[in-house]
Amino acid sequence: MIRRGLVVLLALALFVSALALVTAQHRSRSLFIDLERAQQQARQLDVDHERMKIELARLAQPAYIETEARRLGMKPADGSRTVFLNLPAASSSAPVAPGAKK
Amino acid sequence: MKQPTTSRVGPSSARKRSSRGERVGFNSNPLLSVALPSWRSKLMLFLLFAGFVALAGRAFYLMGGVSTDFLQRQGEARYARTLEIPATRGRITDRNGVVLASSVPAKAVWAIPEDVEATPEQIGQLARLLAMNPAELKRRLTNDDRNFVYLRRQVDADVAERIASLKIAGVHSSPEFKRHYPEGPTSAHVIGFTNVEDRGQEGIELAHERQLAGRSGSRRVIKDRLGRIVEDDWLREPFDGHDLSLSIDNRVQYIAHSALKGAIDKYRAKAGAAVVIDVRSGELLALANLPTYDPNARGKLNGDAIRNRALTDTFEPGSTMKPFAIVAALEAGKVRPDTRVQTAPGKLTIGDRTIGDAHAHGLLTVEEVVAKSSNVGTAKIALELPAQTLWDTYTAAGFGQAPQLGFPGAVAGRLRPARSWRPIEQATISYGHGVSVSLIQLARAYTAFARDGDMVPLTLLKQDEPPGGVRVMSHATAMAMRRMLEMAVGPEGTAPGARIPGYRVAGKTGTAYKLKNGQYVREYLASFVGFAPVSDPRIVVAVMIDEPSGEHYGGVVAAPVFAQITAATLRTLQVAPDGPMEPTSAPLLALREAR
Repeated sequence: MIRRGLVVLLALALFVSALALVTAQHRSRSLFIDLERAQQQARQLDVDHERMKIELARLAQPAYIETEARRLGMKPADGSRTVFLNLPAASSSAPVAPGAKK
Repeated sequence: MKQPTTSRVGPSSARKRSSRGERVGFNSNPLLSVALPSWRSKLMLFLLFAGFVALAGRAFYLMGGVSTDFLQRQGEARYARTLEIPATRGRITDRNGVVLASSVPAKAVWAIPEDVEATPEQIGQLARLLAMNPAELKRRLTNDDRNFVYLRRQVDADVAERIASLKIAGVHSSPEFKRHYPEGPTSAHVIGFTNVEDRGQEGIELAHERQLAGRSGSRRVIKDRLGRIVEDDWLREPFDGHDLSLSIDNRVQYIAHSALKGAIDKYRAKAGAAVVIDVRSGELLALANLPTYDPNARGKLNGDAIRNRALTDTFEPGSTMKPFAIVAALEAGKVRPDTRVQTAPGKLTIGDRTIGDAHAHGLLTVEEVVAKSSNVGTAKIALELPAQTLWDTYTAAGFGQAPQLGFPGAVAGRLRPARSWRPIEQATISYGHGVSVSLIQLARAYTAFARDGDMVPLTLLKQDEPPGGVRVMSHATAMAMRRMLEMAVGPEGTAPGARIPGYRVAGKTGTAYKLKNGQYVREYLASFVGFAPVSDPRIVVAVMIDEPSGEHYGGVVAAPVFAQITAATLRTLQVAPDGPMEPTSAPLLALREAR
């Protein structure tokens, strides 16, 4: 009698375990699909980031900036039109703004 | 269907039905009383059993037996795929992290002409998206001899998407990479370019191919009926290419490029090159060449535009070589900076040849020989020395050897062994004829003066630690030469045009006749090599202009280019000025008064 009960119990356990396996497999696969989708998205974002960086480099290239600046009537700075500030020591004073008195 | 069912109904059910009295019972059927031989049922049982055994055997045979491989393959072919995962090529940046070259995914659009079914409007749209001539596209699509044609490679991803949305049968696309060069022509010669397969063909792209190229991986995946990946297994992980940080500073590169372009346009020169070297680290901050090309649109490339002249072209340097003959004499103790040399009457006959100066100078000190660039004076000093001593000095300065830059096509130039020098050659070599050098060699040699007498290897890659130098001349000699080269750009020198406000500069002009088919012709190569600021040199700048027309002197053609590049570069690098500044701006005046 006990043995028979045991067999029934084990059969039931086997059945439940089999169902659980199916569920687990299904869940693992659907999670994997989500993961894959997220990774795909990450890759796409990487690509977009790269594209943006290229675009940034293109827009920030000195040749482009110079043409635009000249269009706005700007001129390149040179040594004779630059204010050089020699600080006596790093700690003794804060930087002086151009034209300010000390 | 009804008949067999009825006949299989057993006697017991028949009895039930009859008891309800709905039908005539079967119990009166005479067949029931026929006695069957018992072997028949046994045979039946055996046959059924044998059938099951055969089924079980077959099942075992298929699942664990001999031909499992084939079946497994067939099964997997229905759900498993092996995907090739491409590796991204590393990006190239300048020393400040500005992208100079980078790969992004693109599509190759191709077609199977046999399968193509498209309306004329569709073909028109496709041609517009591919930027192709519709007639040409049509011709390609109807070319039945071939079963595969590329329509266009490296199509941008968004354009490819719009092509896909046209849904033309027989037109497909597959992924690949497209390399972008945002700086375009400015730094084309340094970076080089890749081919459609994303393999390096020129420049850094070729030199560092191994490092930049990744290794593609492959991945085994299981797909469900919707094509989604549900399980995977890496057969080989892909490795993306390594990024590369160049020593180039794209701001300095642009400064060099635009200054060079200005001079070449002004003097309608054939070509030109400029090099900027960081004195402390030996890093190349800029390497500009003209004519140039756009690496993004390489429709009409020619060797003339591709060539990195600063590295691959050698020329007879002319006067820019003079300081090295003087260095050899100073080191050997033959002369001192204030030793007087007679250069009158501006001519010197050696054997049957006569060399001369552009202007006769008279009695000059060694310092003045360099400053005024006297051929006669330099030759006289050089002839005091054994040829081997001169050769040793040139070799130590890197002439006659290819620079260890790791860049394709860097040349050694020509410096013949000292044994073969005749006196006239020793004289001409001392002022830079009869030897050939590349601009990069010349620039590197001048780092010795800028670095107190030692030299470091040049590099195109960003360095984290300053390299150790090799001493090629004494500190005193380097300092003396620095003073002489500063005099050369002074009011009495050959290149006052090289001066810039705010910084002390030093340098040497060169104007060389060009050799064509073994004959010197009346075409010139103007050059200038110098460094700044003299009190603590930070950069060496070398400029070479090939065949300028109108003017041809290095001091007129090349020195102003040097001045432009040096002034803008020092300002960009925020180097403190060490020289007199012409006070032109009001805030500067106010500040001076306040102090």
